[in-house]
Amino acid sequence: MYKKVALAIAFSPRMEALIAEAKNLIGIFNGELVLIHVGTKTPELEAQLSEVLSRHCGDLGRIKTIWKEGKPAKTILKTCEEEKVDLLVLGALKKEGLLTYYVGSVARKVIRKATCSVLTMIEPKVETTHFSKVVINGTELEITPRVIEKGLKFCEVEKSNQVHILNEIKMYGFKMATAAEGTEAEVANTRRKLVQEEINYVQGILDNLEPTDLKINIKVTAGKWAVELVRFCESIESDLLIMGVDQGFSFIDRIFPHDIEDVLIELPCNLLIVK
Amino acid sequence: MEKLTHNEVVMLLLQLATMLVLARVFAEIARKFKQPAVVGEILAGILLGPTILGTFFPEGFEFLFRSYPMSNIALAGYSQVAVVLLLFIAGLEVDLNLVFSQGKRALNISFYGLVIPFAFGFTAPFFFAEFFGFSEGNKLLFSLFMGTAMAISALPVIVRTLMDLDLFKSRMGMMIVSAAMVDDIIGWMIFSVILSFMGKEAGGIGIGYTILLTVGFTVFMVTVGKSLINRVLPWINKRLAWPGGLISLSLAACFFAAAFTEFIGLHAIFGAFIIGIAIGDSEHMTERAKEIIHQFVNNIFAPVFFVAIGLKVNFIANFDPWLVLVVILVAYAGKVIGCGFGALQGKLDKYEALAIGFGMNARGAMEIILGLIALENGLITEKLFVALVVMALVTSMTSGPLMKWAMNKRKVGLE
Repeated sequence: MYKKVALAIAFSPRMEALIAEAKNLIGIFNGELVLIHVGTKTPELEAQLSEVLSRHCGDLGRIKTIWKEGKPAKTILKTCEEEKVDLLVLGALKKEGLLTYYVGSVARKVIRKATCSVLTMIEPKVETTHFSKVVINGTELEITPRVIEKGLKFCEVEKSNQVHILNEIKMYGFKMATAAEGTEAEVANTRRKLVQEEINYVQGILDNLEPTDLKINIKVTAGKWAVELVRFCESIESDLLIMGVDQGFSFIDRIFPHDIEDVLIELPCNLLIVK
Repeated sequence: MEKLTHNEVVMLLLQLATMLVLARVFAEIARKFKQPAVVGEILAGILLGPTILGTFFPEGFEFLFRSYPMSNIALAGYSQVAVVLLLFIAGLEVDLNLVFSQGKRALNISFYGLVIPFAFGFTAPFFFAEFFGFSEGNKLLFSLFMGTAMAISALPVIVRTLMDLDLFKSRMGMMIVSAAMVDDIIGWMIFSVILSFMGKEAGGIGIGYTILLTVGFTVFMVTVGKSLINRVLPWINKRLAWPGGLISLSLAACFFAAAFTEFIGLHAIFGAFIIGIAIGDSEHMTERAKEIIHQFVNNIFAPVFFVAIGLKVNFIANFDPWLVLVVILVAYAGKVIGCGFGALQGKLDKYEALAIGFGMNARGAMEIILGLIALENGLITEKLFVALVVMALVTSMTSGPLMKWAMNKRKVGLE
């Protein structure tokens, strides 16, 4: 599914782990890897990189390195488009400071603007990560059917053990309060109906997809979906959260953080943004 | 500390009990006809007040509501708390996330759904002030009030209708809800500015200053206030009894904010509304806790408040059929044309646009609260107040059936 994987490298201490992870991914997807470094190409850096590459990647044929100068986020995005990358891998910090929050880190900008899917890894490991417990955002959005389809494909290839699809009941408290103008049985019925509607939504999407052997659990929450996603990922210690982005972002979104911003403030686990 | 005498306590309790019982009876009758509880509660008040009880059994009315002034003052205090709480839950209902995620189309609807009814509501009384019962004072303020009264909407009625018609989760449902939320926020801000001018023309605070206070307080609460709330709520949830801690402290915050806005010259309800938005928007305010607060306010405080409205005014003596008719017409025209136009701008089809207009047309409890405050501040006459209450009830009662009709028409058209 992801034939061309790109990895943005910054010669940070985590570079080696990220390269190992990316190498693992192209192994799974049987794809090729493009390494992108934004910065000046020097013989020292080149030597450092080839040393790491030789340690992790026996077959250098499927790996291409691109050196470019310019603004990091912009250059990475442009290179991905030029190279027709399917999946971009990035390292990111679990928690961003207040300043980077308002100014915007490279990872944030790339996640928002990339035209390809983006995998953000908060703890890349040299021995590579197995995405065993995966959470998919099943909130009713325009892109959700696509996110679930692509997410499940990823999980199949990755051989994940358990997939949770989370959907939410919007304005649950308010709805229940208005429903409370009915009798006890009617209220209980409304409560059941609200939960069932959300399960049906996800089930409807699953029914349209090819059957899979994955263990899938549909869970319904009440509250803000992004926050509930983060909480759920933390509570089950998931390895990967899969979600989509379907709108542009402006400074207003950061003053009134919502949806994906709520997730980006503190990443609960690795994050795959499906585009 | 001064206290009520033995008889006054008995009377207060009798009043509360009678009001709650009758409110419940009529709310149940309203429910049988699939109407919002507020319709029944207002009718209960009309029955208990000067309109029916006072006319046909004056002794009974005198005994229950006129014999002990101190009990009435205590009852007025209860109603005051009730209206603050009603605005607090109205704020809790506003979901800023939803508003931001709906994008331009919803903004179109809320913009035209606010501006056009406001223009209609403003123009009519500005040029025909006497017809609307305006005699002396500031005509501009009076017209501005009428504009606001036409622009406001009642979310609970809208949500209930959408749920009954199974439209809440639809694209249209979400648009209606978020557009109504935006209109309410702006509507209450305008009303807050108008209120702070009433009776204070000489040497009062300037208009620029009042607007600054209103906007400043709102912006502060939904940014800095909200982030403070986001820090305190997790602590409350973790350390204190649940949901006791959360409920009592959020109500305390509501009263503090109400006291603060009242103190700086804005109305108490505005503080309650805005802090309701800030608290409701926090992810730590769980849906379960919101549900409990709603139940508690809707079933203990709101009924007494709405029944008390019927006690204040004689609905038959002050019923001016022409005025009622005109107010209703202006209300329908404003919202249906405004929201419908906004919806058409957003490329929705004709019947969808009509359905949105009818949906947004429900005024419900919010209109009644707005009218009552204006009445108490001497801005409007009892006749106009009665017209506004009737309009609020009629728009709420017809919202569901008319929306259903428009959606059916649309279905037929598509087939």
